Amino acid sequence: MKLKKVTALTLAAAMTFSLVGCGGNDAPAETPADTSTDAPAADDSADDAADEADAADDSAAADDSAAAGGLTYASIQLGEDNMDITTTIKFIHHKTDREEDGTIADLVSKFNEMYPNITVETEGITDYAEDALLRLSTGDWGDVMFIPAVDAADLSTYYLPYGTVEEMSELVNFADQWKDAAGNCYGVGYMGNAQGILYNTKVFADAGITELPKTPDEFIDALQAIKDNTDAIPLYTNYAAGWTMGGQWDAFLGAITTGDETWLNQKFAHTAEPFKDNGDGTGAYALYKILYDAVEQGLIEDDYTTTDWEGCKAMINNGEIGTMVLGSWAIAQMKEAGDHPDDIGYMPFPITVNGQQYTTAGPDYCYGINVNASDDNKAAAMTFVKFMVEESGWCDLEGGYPISKTAPTSFVFDGVNVVTNVTALTGEEDVMNEMNAESELSFNAGGDAKVQSIVEAAATGSESFDDIMADWTERWNAAQEELGIEVQY
Amino acid sequence: MVAQANTVGTQKKGFLQWARSRKGQQAIIIVAFMIIPLALLFTFTYLPFGKMVGYSFMKMKYAGARTFVGWKNYASVFSRKDCFSALKLSLYYMGGSIVQLVLALYLATVLSFKVKGGNVFKGFMFFPYLINGIAIGFIFKFFYTRGFVFDTVLQWCGFQLDNLPYWLKDQSINNISLVGTSVWRYFGQNMVLFIGAIMSVDSELYEAAMLDGANRFQQFIYIILPSIKTIVTLNVILSITGSLSAFEPPYVITDGANGTATYFIVMHDIAHTQQKVGLASAMAVVLLLIIFVATILQKLFFKYVFRNSEDEDFNATKRRDKKLAKYADRKAGR
Repeated sequence: MKLKKVTALTLAAAMTFSLVGCGGNDAPAETPADTSTDAPAADDSADDAADEADAADDSAAADDSAAAGGLTYASIQLGEDNMDITTTIKFIHHKTDREEDGTIADLVSKFNEMYPNITVETEGITDYAEDALLRLSTGDWGDVMFIPAVDAADLSTYYLPYGTVEEMSELVNFADQWKDAAGNCYGVGYMGNAQGILYNTKVFADAGITELPKTPDEFIDALQAIKDNTDAIPLYTNYAAGWTMGGQWDAFLGAITTGDETWLNQKFAHTAEPFKDNGDGTGAYALYKILYDAVEQGLIEDDYTTTDWEGCKAMINNGEIGTMVLGSWAIAQMKEAGDHPDDIGYMPFPITVNGQQYTTAGPDYCYGINVNASDDNKAAAMTFVKFMVEESGWCDLEGGYPISKTAPTSFVFDGVNVVTNVTALTGEEDVMNEMNAESELSFNAGGDAKVQSIVEAAATGSESFDDIMADWTERWNAAQEELGIEVQY
Repeated sequence: MVAQANTVGTQKKGFLQWARSRKGQQAIIIVAFMIIPLALLFTFTYLPFGKMVGYSFMKMKYAGARTFVGWKNYASVFSRKDCFSALKLSLYYMGGSIVQLVLALYLATVLSFKVKGGNVFKGFMFFPYLINGIAIGFIFKFFYTRGFVFDTVLQWCGFQLDNLPYWLKDQSINNISLVGTSVWRYFGQNMVLFIGAIMSVDSELYEAAMLDGANRFQQFIYIILPSIKTIVTLNVILSITGSLSAFEPPYVITDGANGTATYFIVMHDIAHTQQKVGLASAMAVVLLLIIFVATILQKLFFKYVFRNSEDEDFNATKRRDKKLAKYADRKAGR
């Protein structure tokens, strides 16, 4: 009897205790969470301010030292300066495939022909984006690395400036990719990426296409000609891989389809009808209509649900595929996948705005130099970077858009305006993200399903293209309303 | 003061005494042992679940501000086109699980009697279950590719490639193709469970039944099935519940595209691509409730089925009792 009572009491006590436990747990968990969302923000801004102050100091110091030591990218004469330095520098990078196939070793041995006293150790890192940040935080990572995602305010704590963006811009493209508030340039790309369409030149020749298509209609006609005159698949969608749909097609939104550099990041979210038919083969409508029409007219692979990303590389190399919509980074992979590397060509996207074709380009990873290295190593590292950019020919080997403004390049984009989609207005940086999430269209943010659904609708005839665009417009407008975003255009 | 201290003293003494007693020790030990598992259960099951339920009432991303929106997420789960139409796909998977269970039960029954090479067959049929789900996805992606494995085999059997459907492209059959992979993978496991249960049936019953002239089918219906009803119920409930939350085959093989997005895939997309964590949490809670309902319905269904069988037994005993009574009466009346 007594035992029962006591057990009951103890259990009750235990239960109340545990309840109190969770109540107590919850309350403190909630409140700090609430305050903490604000607090770190405040901390951050404080940090930022401090960092910026630091940055200002550092850059001033760097400027001084640069002025004193004369160590700037522009001032180094390859093959003349820094010949007397004997040291070992370490270069860490993400191109593990190039490390394995010996390309990087070849480039380094070329460098050593010119600078035999500077030994370069290289290391390729898998999962680079994360590991590089980890190594960076340890401080002892080497002398040259590809800059991972660091805040602009932290650049001067980690990296040595190459000079001002202004003077660097005369020598290389995309010098403003990594710049601090003081206008110093901290990163130089190893290659650039441009947006366009990959095609097989032999297939085009066999199909009797003499001039590259410049408008959506010409492009569809070209695909039709490939279908009629060759055995190749006119347009390989790579539907099954997913990222090859959303990631690649969305990349043409903005300057390429509208000719307006501010459209994507500044106007798109504020546009009432971003998907309306302009009637002149421009805009987002024309972009996705190309895909719809190609599918509807049977100009794509037979069974799109079982496309094979690895397999398509050899297929386009061997002339079994006419075109694929991929960024210029894919050129090298396609060239290496078979015996006909010379057949791989790259053309601008077939949309012409007011008689002009546009492409957007940006740098891939950029070389950064360790600001904490010894003076000799800094000089050696900067010499190495300049050699890699100007003389090594690596960028061209990868089929990349040129970085150096003087080095020879095989990347031909005749008569095309190379532009960059300018970033969002201050205070509106998150607007596109919010719109993407709310509308669930996710442009340039993993929205593969919506582009896949265009293929499905066109293949099965379940939905007309205008209906799809109307649906997107509806979702876009609903998101604008939900988020309270002002419609301006 | 003194009196108070005294009472506290006696109470304390009483508790200590009790704690030292055998019964007190028992109680303390029971509580002490229970606290650890209960704490683990709470921390790793109910606390996260509670948090998720909390999230379902908020508009939030993984990072950033959260705002309370009440039942809005639940309302949109029911009003969105994609959520409940995705549940229709579960019907395919449920159909598949029925096929899977029947096939497994049939093979289990055959294999639990003496069959030449029985163990080899068991091994072959159980083998798919050991393969990683992702690998199975890749295997079947190539298996179903136009003109690849499956089409080639069918062509050997005299089919023309032109008459064959596109297994993953044709929206009227692609879900059946996907369900096929799931059946292929899991029926071996079900079969092994059934075999285990059938093994426990007393083999003398078969002999007795055989003497009474029962054939194999009757043996199955009247001996095996009633003996393994627990495991059958369990398997059915697990399969139906599993088909409501089908994820792997469509995710790996078709990426949920082309009309194969099950409820789980829609949820995954909303949570990770669109970052609408609140809505996805609400979807998860709704699915949980649906699974509850489905499970309870199945429980009731089986209870009904089993009560029927018990009723039959009951009637039989009643008849037997009646007969015996009659017999006794006749004996007594003589």
